[in-house]
Order: sequence, then C-alpha cells, then structure tokens
Amino acid sequence: MTIPIVPKLLRSHLSDLAERDARIDGRGRWEGRELEVEHSILPRAEGSARVRMGDTIVLAGVKFQIMTPYPDRPNQGGLMCSAEVRPVAGRNWESGPPSPESIELGRVVDRGIRESGCIDVDSLCIIPGEKAWQVILDLFAISDDGNLFDAFALAGIAALRNATVPAERFEVGEDYPLSVSKTPIMCSYHKVGGRFVFDATAREELGGDERIHITLGDDNNVHSLQKGLKGIFSAGEFTEIMDNAIERTEKLRKIIDEL
Amino acid sequence: MGGYGDVQMIDENGVRADGRGPGDIRPITIETGVVPVADGSCRMTWGTNEAIVAVYGPMEAHPRKIQRQDRAVLDVAYNMAPFSTTDRMRPGFNRRSREVSKVTQDALESVVLLELYPRSKIRVSIEIVSAEAGTRCVGLTAASVALADAGIPMTDLVVSVASGKINDVVVCDLNKEEDNYGEADLPMGIMPNSGELVFLQMDGDLSQDEFKQAWKYNMDAAQEIHKLMVEALNGGDSQ
Amino acid sequence: MNGGPVARLDNMTKKKGAAGPQGNKRGENLVVPGDDLGDSEGFEAGHGVLVMSGRLKALKQGKLREKGKSISIEPIHTRYIPRPGDLVIGFIEGCTNNLWFIELGAPFNAILPMSLGPGKVDFGGTRSVMDIGDAVLCRVQEVEETHSSVVTMKGMGLRKIRSGVVEEIDPHLLGRIIGKGGETLRRMKTETECRIVVADNGRMWIDGELDGILDVRNRLSAISRDSRGGRN
Repeated sequence: MTIPIVPKLLRSHLSDLAERDARIDGRGRWEGRELEVEHSILPRAEGSARVRMGDTIVLAGVKFQIMTPYPDRPNQGGLMCSAEVRPVAGRNWESGPPSPESIELGRVVDRGIRESGCIDVDSLCIIPGEKAWQVILDLFAISDDGNLFDAFALAGIAALRNATVPAERFEVGEDYPLSVSKTPIMCSYHKVGGRFVFDATAREELGGDERIHITLGDDNNVHSLQKGLKGIFSAGEFTEIMDNAIERTEKLRKIIDEL
Repeated sequence: MGGYGDVQMIDENGVRADGRGPGDIRPITIETGVVPVADGSCRMTWGTNEAIVAVYGPMEAHPRKIQRQDRAVLDVAYNMAPFSTTDRMRPGFNRRSREVSKVTQDALESVVLLELYPRSKIRVSIEIVSAEAGTRCVGLTAASVALADAGIPMTDLVVSVASGKINDVVVCDLNKEEDNYGEADLPMGIMPNSGELVFLQMDGDLSQDEFKQAWKYNMDAAQEIHKLMVEALNGGDSQ
Repeated sequence: MNGGPVARLDNMTKKKGAAGPQGNKRGENLVVPGDDLGDSEGFEAGHGVLVMSGRLKALKQGKLREKGKSISIEPIHTRYIPRPGDLVIGFIEGCTNNLWFIELGAPFNAILPMSLGPGKVDFGGTRSVMDIGDAVLCRVQEVEETHSSVVTMKGMGLRKIRSGVVEEIDPHLLGRIIGKGGETLRRMKTETECRIVVADNGRMWIDGELDGILDVRNRLSAISRDSRGGRN
C-alpha cells in the first residue's frame, strides 16, 4: 500500500471538529454509515455476503475443501480466513505480495471469528483420522472508503451463517447448513482529532491516529482485541469504547440474525 | 479443448442444453459507477460470470522506471477471486491470469489514446468474482466500459465474445459445459463501430466454413452487446 | 449494486443480422467513445472529439456540445490537465534542496522551484519553509510538451494555506457552484462569512469560522445532490 500524504490542514480541521463534537460528514461520534448486508450473492461460493458501509464495499466467500486431519487431532477439521485488498479497491492499494496492512486486516478478522468458537472444528469431521472439512473464508475488498475491518468482519460472519456444506459435490453425503454457534461482531474505533469515533471514513483515517478493534460474542464476551497504528490511549478512553461496542454489536448482531 | 463427442449439448432442432439457439447469447447486465472510490468502474454479469472492473488515472506513474516519455502506461491486471470457481482458487501469482492480463492490455492499448497523457499511468483492475466460461471476454468488455466511465479517451469501445463448436455445430457464446466438452473456441475483441479487431485467439478444430460462421456469430453478438454498453454508459437516455 | 441504472439483456433470443455503425449521432445528446458525429467538413474537433477519415468521432462518454463550428464532448469525469495561467491548489508531496513536488490532481505532479517559492528560501532550506502535507495556492507558470508543469507562488494572493479546509469538487459541478454571473458563489461567501477561493483544478479553499465552513460544506452537498439525476 502507498501511504498517502497527510494534508496538515486536514488534521487541524479534524481537531476543530472534534472539539465541537462534529465529524466531517456530519455524523455523530458513535454513528455508523448507511449499512447494507446481502447474503448468498456469489453463485460459485458455498456461502457468501456483500457488505456496504457508505462507500466501502466488500465481499466474503466461503469455500469448502477436504483435508486430512492432523495425526494428534484426528476428529478435527479446520478454519482458515484470508483477506485480500487488491488495487481494484483504491488508488493507494498496489499489486504485488500482500502488504502489512492487508495481512493485519486478515489476521485481526480471523482472530475475532476463530476465538469466538463459532465454528466448532470438531463438528467438521467426516471420517476420523482420514477426512475432515476445511472451511475457508475469503474476504475481498471492492471499494475502500475506510473501516475495512468492520466490513470484512461483518461480511465474514454473514457468509458463514448462510453457508451450506457441499457434501454432495464431494460425495460424502447430503448437503447441510454449516453449524455456526455464535455471531461474533467487530467494532472499530479510530482516534480522530484527539478522540475515538466509530466507523471512520478514509478521510478520517488519513487524518487520524491510532485505532482499536473489539470483537464481542453473543454474551458480550470479549473474543479479540487489537490496537493498530501509532498513538496512546487511556483506560478511560478504552472503557468508553467498550461500552459503545457492547451497544453497537448488539444492533449489528440483530441485523445478521434477521438476514 | 479436445472434443468429447459423446456429451450431447445440442439436439437435432438446434436447441442447446440451456435452451438457447445456436446464435443466442447468455443473459447480460451492465452497470457503471459500482466502485465509488474509483475514477471509473463497471460491473458486468454474463450468464453466471461476474466481473467488477475499476479504473484509476491518469495519475503519476510510479515507480519512475515504468514511466514512458511519449505516452501513458496502461497497467491492466486480470485476477480471479478465490471464491469465483467451484474449486477454490488460491490467491497469488497465476500464469493464466498473467497471460489474460497481457492480452487484455494489448487489446485496450489499441483503442486508448495513450499519447494524450505522457509520463502518466492508467490502472485497470479486472476482478472476476464468479466464473463460468468466457471470463476473458467479460473482463475485456467490462474494462472498456469502465475506461469510458472514467473519461479516458478511446477510439471505440471493445466488445469481446467467444463462439465455438459443440457436437459439430457452430454456436455463439460458449457456456461452461460447452467450453469444457466442445471442439473449438474462438474469442474475439471487436471495435463495434468499424468491425476491426483488437483481440483474437482460437483453439480447437474448425473448417474454413465453420470458422467464418463462428466469426460472424461474434460480429453479430458484438453489435447487440454494444447497444447494452451504450445504454449503461448513457444512463438509459440514449433511446 | 447501487451505481447507475442497470442495462439488461435478459432475453436469450437475438435479432438476426448485423446492425452496423449507428450513423450520425449528432441529433442525440449523449455519446460514447467510437460514436460517429458526422462529416468533419466545416467543423472543428473540440474536447473529446477526433477527426478521422473525414468524419468526426467521439472519444469520450458525455454530452455532445455544439458551439458554432466546434463540436466537443462534456464528460462527467475529467482529470485536470494544467494550463498556463491556471490558479491551482496543490499539496506538497516531496522536496529536494531547491524545489518542491506539488500534487495537483493532474496526471502527474508539478514542480515549484525555490526561485518561484514564497519569500526568500535558502538552498537546502525548502523543508523548513514548506513541508510535506502543506497546501499551497499557486499559479501554473508553464506546461512543457510532456504535460509536466511548473508552478509559481510569485503573484498576488498566492500563498501557503495556513488555515481553513481544502475540498475536492466534481468539475462538472463548478458551473452550479459559481452560478450565473458568479451569483451563487457570491451569496455563499456573504451568507457564510467565509473566504472561498475556487481553483481551476477542481479544489476549493474555504476559510472562516468553523460554523461557516460547515455551512459551506452543507451547501456543496446540496448542490451535488440536486445535480444527480440517476447517476452517482
């Protein structure tokens, strides 16, 4: 990724706005952009979703493969998450090997989903010691206007929740829905103009500082945390964000449940 | 290719397995402006193919060594998303994608007026999110729409379509099964106003007469698809 | 996918026979690359139009414009191409000991030599005067053949922008923002009590109290919304 220049005027303007409790696009501090979630939109994937948050658009696809279980875990299948931000998504995304930014994206989203235990790898066994399912979640950015983290995480869980195990195609039985026991939801907060805001746009990310990603499960249990970029924050700031995350993840979880 | 003569894909009345006649194209939709952050973009569905193309530029050409003093550099990349095929495609370098990127770039360079923007770069990203035979044709066609959407000057749009032969019958616009089990595949990239070609490949076995028929099918299909591209670009006002 | 309207070919039967080139398009308003615009005899090719074999050909997608003898196309998206005399707002992307690289939103960056910079600058002192990320209001001095341009800060009102905001605006909205005889822009300035400079490269500098700046931004959003007739 090419790091774009940060216009100095932007930073001071964001500071002025923060003092006024305002944001550059007129939203409230904890307000998200217009959200659209659709599932089962990719004909070749066993599960899929498209998420649109403002001008940020991403796709998630679930594919299944058969794997040989590890000798020490003969009844377990696997879950793999991979994220790609290709040049299609923005001027600053370059071709070539995955950048540190896109690797961080993939790994943070992966942890949120994996650590929640929403996919029980023991249930993915086909023949103990011989065959098991490997669930592969591919996250794909189409348009980057900021906060790819939340867009990926939401698309990922929406795709998994609507995935079908393709047992017929692999001749190991009948197709059945993938069992997903929880709905982990990620919320990302970016320090803009000196305070944390929810769902930052690309412009806010450009003029902002550090970010924090929180993934909560159905019972508000914390499943993953990540602090990214340069900057420091206080315990008080963190508590404020966590309180908002509890509220926000509940709303987003409802949207996924009702898909 | 390699014909599998025993797979029946077209019956005695000329009706194909998916209900089409020999000269019929699969259903197509075209939209522009689908990647809001890009300078131009296009989403095209063709049968169960789906391509999303974004264009950025003209912009500063980085790194300096790729800059050309006399014209813009057209940087075209064709890629298939991991979930685009029945068996997952591993992300990363892929020889086929590299070849398709190159022939698509060569085709587009034949119509884009690159000399108008020396020392700069125009980036075309073709992403196939769902694949079903003829992906290089969807990619090239959608790319020309995205370039027009971005305001890049071109001498014509490019329509790309592939005809071939199944069970000894020449047909237009091969679908997945027909491409896998048919006897020939002839993809072309056509400038619809002049009928000139910017892209041509072929593999299989066609007699001279069969070749002429497949060629004509592509030319006719290009005119029809062109109308759709115009409608998508002009926002439905061109009627 | 929420872009423009969708063009569909849903029916699988197609009409027999090739349709050929569409003939003279000048009667209609919207054109796409490749469209034939009629005989070139007596006409001039303007922006986005080429003369080829005695015919006028459209090179871009947009509205067809006939102004006297000149046939041109007004596209929705244009990249800014620098011309001498243009007033521009740029961002400093880099510098050497004796010049700055200015990003103008053009196909490539412009150069601001030390000698044309603000006040007196010593060799090697460029960065202390204007740093990466600073915004400048300057004028295009010259454009050489390869579209590389030189900008200058020597001139009335040209300066490093120290306060306010710089907004990117869609070039095709410029007309509406300025208004007839400059009326809309004038009214915006007085009613918001902001200083507003509209540059030729699709950027605006807005300076004033925060409330005024937010007011201007709202008005610009409204203009943008009103102009959208089905296209993003």
